[in-house]
Amino acid sequence: MEQAFFLADAELQEALAGLSAQADVWVPASDARKPGLVRFRRFQPGLTVRLDARSLVSAKEVLFPRSETLLRFTKEKDLSVPAGHRIHLDDARTVRPVVVFGCRPCDARGFLTFDPVFTKGPYRDPYYSERREKTTFVSLVCRDADAACFCSAVGSGPADPEGSDAQLIPVDGGYVLRPVTERGAALLEPIGRTAAPEQIREAQDVLDQVGRETVGEGSLTTLAEAFRARFQDPAFWHAHIDKCLSCGLCTFVCPTCYCFTITDEARGLNGERIRSWDACMFPHFTLEASGHNPRPSKVERYRNRVGHKFSYFPARYGQVACCGCGRCVRHCPVSVDIRAVVRDLPAQEEAHA
Amino acid sequence: MDTLHAHLEALFDDLELVIGWETGYEPLRPTPAFLRSREDLSRLVWNPLCAPNLSVYLPGILKDAKETGKKIGVCLKGCDSRSLGALVQEGFVERERLYVVGLPCPGTVDPEALAEARKSSAPVTHVSFRDGLLAITSRDGTEEIELERVLARRCRRCRHPNPLHADVILGDPVPPRRTEPSFSDVDAVEAMSLEERRAYWEEELSRCLRCYACRNACPLCVCRDRCLAESRTPKWTTQRDGVRDKFLFHMIHALHLAGRCTECGECERVCPVGIPVALFKEKMARIALELWDYQAGTDPAATPPLQTFDPSETGI
Repeated sequence: MEQAFFLADAELQEALAGLSAQADVWVPASDARKPGLVRFRRFQPGLTVRLDARSLVSAKEVLFPRSETLLRFTKEKDLSVPAGHRIHLDDARTVRPVVVFGCRPCDARGFLTFDPVFTKGPYRDPYYSERREKTTFVSLVCRDADAACFCSAVGSGPADPEGSDAQLIPVDGGYVLRPVTERGAALLEPIGRTAAPEQIREAQDVLDQVGRETVGEGSLTTLAEAFRARFQDPAFWHAHIDKCLSCGLCTFVCPTCYCFTITDEARGLNGERIRSWDACMFPHFTLEASGHNPRPSKVERYRNRVGHKFSYFPARYGQVACCGCGRCVRHCPVSVDIRAVVRDLPAQEEAHA
Repeated sequence: MDTLHAHLEALFDDLELVIGWETGYEPLRPTPAFLRSREDLSRLVWNPLCAPNLSVYLPGILKDAKETGKKIGVCLKGCDSRSLGALVQEGFVERERLYVVGLPCPGTVDPEALAEARKSSAPVTHVSFRDGLLAITSRDGTEEIELERVLARRCRRCRHPNPLHADVILGDPVPPRRTEPSFSDVDAVEAMSLEERRAYWEEELSRCLRCYACRNACPLCVCRDRCLAESRTPKWTTQRDGVRDKFLFHMIHALHLAGRCTECGECERVCPVGIPVALFKEKMARIALELWDYQAGTDPAATPPLQTFDPSETGI
């Protein structure tokens, strides 16, 4: 660790307030009415910041809001044109710099699934890309894995710096801040003081120790072929998915699920075109205008969810579309476990006959 | 537990499959199990963590089941059995195609309350339940926690711990916590002024993610893939993230359950952001009780009050 800063616990609020002067700072924070519920919120002084707790929804909504206005439109009556009205469009937007502070390595890594799809083309998404370019991720080295976590099984780990611009490493009395990228270094310089050699040593020990931990069993990264072989095995999919309720919870809490819908929401002569989260587990997701639905039941829908993350996406982009955060497992109303489904893909067929 | 396994073992040749619960990814999370072979039966578990109401699966599984003449076995708690009753009442489930194993229920656990009550946060390796005590084992040892301390809200107001409409009841009857319907949580919200109440619900509902887990876990939400919440033609709700559309969805959900909700509390249990959405339905259940002396799902032969018309009814 060449360069590092120290931030004492007591200075956290002040540091976040300092960062907020130039950027929107998003932190995991507990809800006033439900202290156990931790979500990413825009920092403001007095907010109960919870770096110690895993957040329910990932940091996805910071760069990919649940609902965002793409453009506003106004209809103006004009009988001189054949339509009887003219449409005025306004797609002006301002993008503020953003800091995601205190997310877990899995949250930061989740955006590595978004990036090739939204920023690399053939269609570059300006809304995501513009925000992405102005976002800095400071992730906390994670020592809170639970039974649902499996980051190591997707090629990551609880100290993974990939996707992060800086790392927060918990040490006695506070955190050592370690820059990973130049952007991370530029962000940290003003808020921390240079860490003492013993703090750096302690941080390095934590980093080494957490880095050696394995969270989740085996590897789920090489099953693209097994998925294709399993595709037409209804008994397999029924055995795993009969219990699924086909709600959208798993996709909404997921850091890598990026599917959306675009709708025009108008009242009278004014309205806006918005982009909002959609979920492949919903029936309307693939409903065609003819009324035909190529994924008529939860079995086809869930199979697609597994296929997208562990087969189609890796075939196209060379990486699985899963960061192993475990939210889909942890929060599922009926505890559907995607790890078990993916792990069983290559298993003997007889097991599910 | 031994009785449950032994009972189903003896009957298994006459059953197409058994729907029960098995240990999920950790012992704290029993998950619905669809057991299709005799060997699978050994996976069955039954304890106060078996929260999911399995009656939600019945209309779908009966529709898809092959006509083999064999029945479908299902394990139901008291509240789950009322949902079955309502599904039979409305013609979604043919009772004679089921073999219903009724399990008197001591109450189910609120996972958040349990996490708070536990001293250890280490992953749980084993769970057992006896005499009102949950024994939770992890690498830090075994902790005993009184079920009464960590009960789900729905179970605190339960007056049907003993299943109705069952073919067999396995286990001793459980004395109900309530003998009279209890609406004290609804009362608490109704005691607020209109402005306070509006602020309360706006704050609660603003957290809604619109994941529709509440809808999909509801055994009486029978529209399934035809829900108006996602319909664009006609369009009832927008895709905006504001509280206005969330409010509208939850109001429609509650009104569609008027005189139908069996108060199993699944909508509230599955909500990832902890909105007390069951309160809306409890309010509806109270109106049905006061207006018609009607409790959904208790009498499979009764016609739900909003699905009939009686000119002699007064007070409406």
